[in-house]
Amino acid sequence: MPSVNETSRPSLARRAAILYGVTAFIALIGLADSIYLTVEHLSGRSVRCTITSGCSEVLSSPYASIRGFPLAGLGAVAYFAVFSLATLAAFGYRFVGNLLTLIVAAMFLTTLWLLYLQAFVIHHFCQFCLLSALVTTSLTVLIILAKRQKVH
Amino acid sequence: MKRILPFVIIAFVLGAGLLTARYLQRASSETPTPSPTPGASPVTTAVNPGEPGAEPAHALGDPKAPVTLEEFGDFECPPCGVLHPILKGLEAEYGSTKLRIIFREFPLVPNHVHALAAARAAEAAGLQGRFWEMHDLIYEHQKDWHEAFDVRPIFEGYAKTIGLDVAQFSRDITSDIIERRIFLDGKRAHSLGVQGTPTVFLNGKEVPFESLAPDKLKALINNELATAHP
Repeated sequence: MPSVNETSRPSLARRAAILYGVTAFIALIGLADSIYLTVEHLSGRSVRCTITSGCSEVLSSPYASIRGFPLAGLGAVAYFAVFSLATLAAFGYRFVGNLLTLIVAAMFLTTLWLLYLQAFVIHHFCQFCLLSALVTTSLTVLIILAKRQKVH
Repeated sequence: MKRILPFVIIAFVLGAGLLTARYLQRASSETPTPSPTPGASPVTTAVNPGEPGAEPAHALGDPKAPVTLEEFGDFECPPCGVLHPILKGLEAEYGSTKLRIIFREFPLVPNHVHALAAARAAEAAGLQGRFWEMHDLIYEHQKDWHEAFDVRPIFEGYAKTIGLDVAQFSRDITSDIIERRIFLDGKRAHSLGVQGTPTVFLNGKEVPFESLAPDKLKALINNELATAHP
């Protein structure tokens, strides 16, 4: 008869795999969002000012690029990295877990900083940036949950 | 197989991402083809004349110029600030006999906190015959006053720079005549279905926002000129 530990281990591993799978899927949403913003930025177009949106203010601000490189491009690279590592983790490549946690933590801190800039410096919110913030927050929660499967 | 499957998925997503980026880039850089035949204008949305707007309108160029470009702008809107040097370039390139440029006030309040003050300042300069000088200064220094808490002394500084009677300017800023001019331009904007800024009409037809790049605008103006003088 298998012990309690023996039966729960595969189930925990499966749960972690599912969580990593969901993480990869959510990262795809962030990737699509940031690819769109990167292309808009590189094509030199600024989003039109409308009565209901603050996108033009946020995306035309000096914070939208770092030394000429669009921040959204950096986001696309980060989302792709998260997608790749989470996919690998879901398929049992456990060694990528720590790197994934590190990247998601860095992304979450960046998101907090960008939310602060939108709220208190630029005084406008851009819906594409808010979507990215939501995605990164979800990724952070999922990674914490996936990590907990390992701990217990 | 299970060991290589994640790498296949990753490679597939990388390829799909690059293709999507390429597609989006192409879609955004497509130039409308100028039509050589009269009556088949590349400017997409035809509009009715709408409400008249403030009279006289702020206009540069000959009233008989074959091409009239009417901009609905907000001085605090960053893309309007980007469009400003483009229009200056077109004005210099085509000259007053070919191109007439009209500016209409469309301050996006309350989204842009200083937009109305900027519109008032430009209009007050207009009462002393210096609308375009103030218009240029406000756009060119958009980043300087955009973050300011109180923009009034900044605009008064601009008024002094362009040689206005500053005391008169300060009084005019809050005058009813200016209030009415901005209201009438706004009424015209709404009658034409303007949703945001900058919105540009070329000979009464709305120019799509993605065609506000210099080369695209030139192609549209050339087409209008070709239509006017076949």
